[in-house]
Amino acid sequence: MLSRLPLPPQLDRTITLGAVLAVGVALPYVGVVLVLAAMGTLSVAAVVFWMLAAIIVAGACGAVFSNHVVHAALSLVIAAMGIAGIFLLLASEFLALVQVLVYGGGVTILLLFGLMLTNATEDPLVTDGTQKPFAFGVGLAMGAVIVAAMVGSTWRAGEPMVVPFAELGVRLYRDFGLPFEIASLVLIVALVGAIAIGRRDQDGDVS
Amino acid sequence: MEHFLGLSGVLFALGFYGVLARRSAILILISVELMLAAVSINFITFATYLDPERFTGVIFAIFAITIAAAEVGLALGIVLRLFRDRGTSNVDAADELKW
Amino acid sequence: MSMEQAGVLIIIPAAAFVLVALFHKVLPRQGDWIVVLALAAVVAIGMLVVVDFQRVWEHGEFVPHGANRFAFDWVNIHQGVFQIEFSTYVDSITAVMIVVVSIVALMVAVYSVGYMHGEARYGWYFAALSLFVTAMLTLVLAGNLLMVYFAWEGVGVASFLLIGFYWERQSAAEAAKKAFITTRIGDVGLLIGIVLLWRASGTFDIQEIIKIAQAGGFDHTYLTVSMLFLFLGAVGKSAQFPLHVWLPDAMEGPTPVSALIHAATMVVAGVYLVARMMPVFNEVPIAREVVLYTGLVTAVMAATMGLVATDIKRVLAFSTVSQLGFMFVALGLGAVGIAMFHLFTHAFFKALLFLGSGSVIHATHQQEVGYLGGLRKKMPITTVTFIIGSLALAGVMPLAGFWSKDEILHATMEHAPLTVFLLLAGSAMLTAIYSTRLVLLTFFGEPKDQHAYDHAHESPWLMSVPLLILATLATVSGFVVFHGVGTALGFPGGIGEVIFEHEPEVFHFNAMFAAGAVGSSLVGIAIGYIYWGGTAERATRALSWAPELHQLLLRRYYIDEMYQAIIDRVILGLASVVSTFEKRVVNESGIDGGAQLINWFGYRLKFLQTGKIPNYALAMAIGVITLAVLAFRSE
Repeated sequence: MLSRLPLPPQLDRTITLGAVLAVGVALPYVGVVLVLAAMGTLSVAAVVFWMLAAIIVAGACGAVFSNHVVHAALSLVIAAMGIAGIFLLLASEFLALVQVLVYGGGVTILLLFGLMLTNATEDPLVTDGTQKPFAFGVGLAMGAVIVAAMVGSTWRAGEPMVVPFAELGVRLYRDFGLPFEIASLVLIVALVGAIAIGRRDQDGDVS
Repeated sequence: MEHFLGLSGVLFALGFYGVLARRSAILILISVELMLAAVSINFITFATYLDPERFTGVIFAIFAITIAAAEVGLALGIVLRLFRDRGTSNVDAADELKW
Repeated sequence: MSMEQAGVLIIIPAAAFVLVALFHKVLPRQGDWIVVLALAAVVAIGMLVVVDFQRVWEHGEFVPHGANRFAFDWVNIHQGVFQIEFSTYVDSITAVMIVVVSIVALMVAVYSVGYMHGEARYGWYFAALSLFVTAMLTLVLAGNLLMVYFAWEGVGVASFLLIGFYWERQSAAEAAKKAFITTRIGDVGLLIGIVLLWRASGTFDIQEIIKIAQAGGFDHTYLTVSMLFLFLGAVGKSAQFPLHVWLPDAMEGPTPVSALIHAATMVVAGVYLVARMMPVFNEVPIAREVVLYTGLVTAVMAATMGLVATDIKRVLAFSTVSQLGFMFVALGLGAVGIAMFHLFTHAFFKALLFLGSGSVIHATHQQEVGYLGGLRKKMPITTVTFIIGSLALAGVMPLAGFWSKDEILHATMEHAPLTVFLLLAGSAMLTAIYSTRLVLLTFFGEPKDQHAYDHAHESPWLMSVPLLILATLATVSGFVVFHGVGTALGFPGGIGEVIFEHEPEVFHFNAMFAAGAVGSSLVGIAIGYIYWGGTAERATRALSWAPELHQLLLRRYYIDEMYQAIIDRVILGLASVVSTFEKRVVNESGIDGGAQLINWFGYRLKFLQTGKIPNYALAMAIGVITLAVLAFRSE
């Protein structure tokens, strides 16, 4: 369908799709949000939320639906950044920082390394399994269940409270000292395990 | 508050779909990360709205992120191994565990 | 050792059994000394128990359910709703049995040390002997019917093991099986009888059942049926007609075993049981009549079969069956004391005879009389003791058998129809004839097999000493009827009086009658001498006088053949129907069919397992969602 549109042939399919989505979905969305804000229906925080939500969902869709693995990984970065923004909105600066560092940095780099090492770009167009339609249905059902659960419950009204850095530190290192240490142990074990599993076999080495 | 929870739900459902639909192990990992992020949002939402004095959820989110990082590292090790053994990172290729 | 502690008598041989059975491979001399010592201890302690009983009895302090009883709860459900006790009970009958069992067992054990020397499984033989003594003493000490039943089965098992001791021999294995199955028919009857009695009275305790029966607590017909079933057990164990067929075959076992189990102790278990339950039998005269006539038929039949048997041990086996018949006749007349008296004397002289025949077999490796003869020159001790035993069996005054048999005949003459008396007296004469024949063919005349004769030798002292002791007992044990002798030996007032406490049947020696009895025995011996004392030709002429009769007796009235035919036609026919049903319906359709169905489904269903992880994840996800939806719906 897209190929029938009168677009310059040198443009990549993805860019075309992105442009179409930007013009067809993003612009009207931003417009609606801004108009609502101007009318005073939405607070500033709400505007920020809706913007971030759009970015996150867009990034997530990219990560999940993209046929190109590198695109998917980069979309994950966009979603992660949006989530960091959400954390800021929820008054958890520390977690926002952690999110940016771990996801935006570490995890994505790790995934890209993985892609590079497994040479996964060999067949970029066949990334989805045969059970895609079922998966779609199940995903929809899952979302419906979660949303239904959320809507069906009554929540306490109120505003998010700021979590001060200092208190967070005290709580993390005093009350959760032992779990923290265990978590670090888990990290080191995971690292060692990953190396043990991933290294090349030596001669005469079983497994 | 419902907005944050709804966003988290949508994100989780998308990740869920990804895990089921994708065939490449790397892409499945990406989808899993999405689901974990959704869970983190939930944790923090509950912490700051419902439990601002103790904010246990924030601590949990920190742990969740930590474990997620560890899991990615380990999972990539496994994927590498699989790739080296079979020449592909396609999870459908690893189907010996049956009749 | 008082009567309450009689349980020690069970524990000692049991311990010996466990020790020897487990460790006979490592013990010096394979542990035979343990068994001999244990049995010697049993004799000593048994005597102490009997003496204690005598003391209590003489002072008139004996209470049937008093100090002679020891019991503890074995099973107790709902505070006595269903209660089984482990109890020992000592009274005069028990005292007689303890004396008989312990003395004969000790003699046989000592004899076996010589007889079984060098046999394979020597240690195991002694272990089984110990097991038998354990079970037998449990049986005679048992205070309730359930214990009687267990011990009853216990002696059955020991008997099975010992008959089949030479299991390499086909005939021995078959004989063991035959004995076990035949007695089992009786055992089932015993069990039914016990359960019937329990059902009506709610107790297994013998004395309480007697009390209830005497108070008229049972329905008369019900009690008759119960006692007949109980008697069926006695018929099986004591080899009475029509279940007598196993005993002659049981002679496949080692000879000392035959002496102990199949002559002196186990086979009299039936007599013991009926004697023990006699107060109940007295309530139901029909059952007592059945006991009387069963004993009579058996006594006559077995005596006639004993006339023609050619195997020493089988002659003695038929003689045992016949003598047991005598005891049952006495029991049928209600004369417990007399029956127990005959049991007492018979145990000694029959054990003597068996051990004597064992001595012959040990020396010649022959047990067919056709190959023996003239052994008196080679084996003087065996010959003399065997003759003493035979005379006791034949009932010659003053040997043991005379006193007890005379008592039985006397009681029969006074209390039974004349025909019964005449038949019994006839079979007593037959007894004299066949025992004379056996002695003559074995120890007199010319050796028929020179080879066997040349190898014959007197048995070692380990075997001849028990023979001499038993010969002494066979001579004197009859005197316990007399007041003084009986009191000295633990039976105050003579054996008849002490056992039959309610109507003391004092020994009524009648000179005329005794003379008649001895006379008939002597006539029998004379007849035997006329036929078998001379040349072989005369004996052969006796056989050819009535070949059909001879054949009939030799084939044991064709009863075995009849049973075989019944088994072949009826039981195997039924079994083949059941077997076919089992094979076709139960096995092929039921079990195999089910298995094949599952196999088929499994083959189809296995393709559900694709091995692909996303498929599993999808299935799991559907499950999670379904559960979530269900959870919401239930809210």
